[in-house]
Amino acid sequence: MPISVDEKAAALASLPLFQGASDESLARLCNVTGEVEYSAGQFVVRQGQVGSGLYLIVSGAARVVSGSHELATLGPGDFFGELTVIDQQPRTASVQATQDTVCLAVASWDLLDLLKSDSALALNLIRGLAARVRSNAEHHRH
Amino acid sequence: MALSPQQLVDTLSGLTLFADLSRPQLEQVAHKMSEESFPEGQRILRQGFTGSGFYVILDGEVAIRIDGNEVARLAKGDFFGEMSVLLGEPPVADVVALRQLHALHLGGPELEGFLSEHPTVMFRMLKTVAMRLRNASRWRS
Repeated sequence: MPISVDEKAAALASLPLFQGASDESLARLCNVTGEVEYSAGQFVVRQGQVGSGLYLIVSGAARVVSGSHELATLGPGDFFGELTVIDQQPRTASVQATQDTVCLAVASWDLLDLLKSDSALALNLIRGLAARVRSNAEHHRH
Repeated sequence: MALSPQQLVDTLSGLTLFADLSRPQLEQVAHKMSEESFPEGQRILRQGFTGSGFYVILDGEVAIRIDGNEVARLAKGDFFGEMSVLLGEPPVADVVALRQLHALHLGGPELEGFLSEHPTVMFRMLKTVAMRLRNASRWRS
């Protein structure tokens, strides 16, 4: 069953990445957000690819793998891909669906266009990333 | 020693952060930000203290120190202070000049407006912050 626009907006708004974004920004983001289904075993993104998009898991489960190492498991509410979208570096790990999985996906060119034209959203994103750099710094101290 | 406006604009045009700006835009930036110099050993930002602002290094080198331990060094073209300003929190690190430092400074309250006026600068800043986060958390591609 397709995800409603309201559900999409609520899911995106819940991402720390977009927390504090205005309703206008979220509406623009919603317009370029698609829904993608993966069957168990299918790769969502592959290591070495240049960032093709930002993904948010709506249902299902996936694992993060680098070579033969499993680095993490992901479930509903988890997101990935935002850094490669921004800096256009190759992905450092693959993400593979371990169950039938539904993701919300924002293509990198759409997100980049949006960030370049919506300074409030870009500012918000810098804040979100800065807070994460900071919590990492705090983490290393303890 | 202060640069002439011409020299300052030339210097800015060579910095990655301002790489997308036209000559008139660079002149605006040079006008908006103030040049500051710090002697070797001077603490420019203090861990846990408020105040400060946003700095872009024109010449020299600084060490980033958390609880006295050096975690990074920054040099010409690098910038610092934006995280505290944007998060509205005190710096989590000391920033110390390792030799004579020549930098451009923008007061904290002006940064948001400045970035909104110059989206390409904001986008380059976003990339840099993303890189920092990438270095801090390897897998999250």
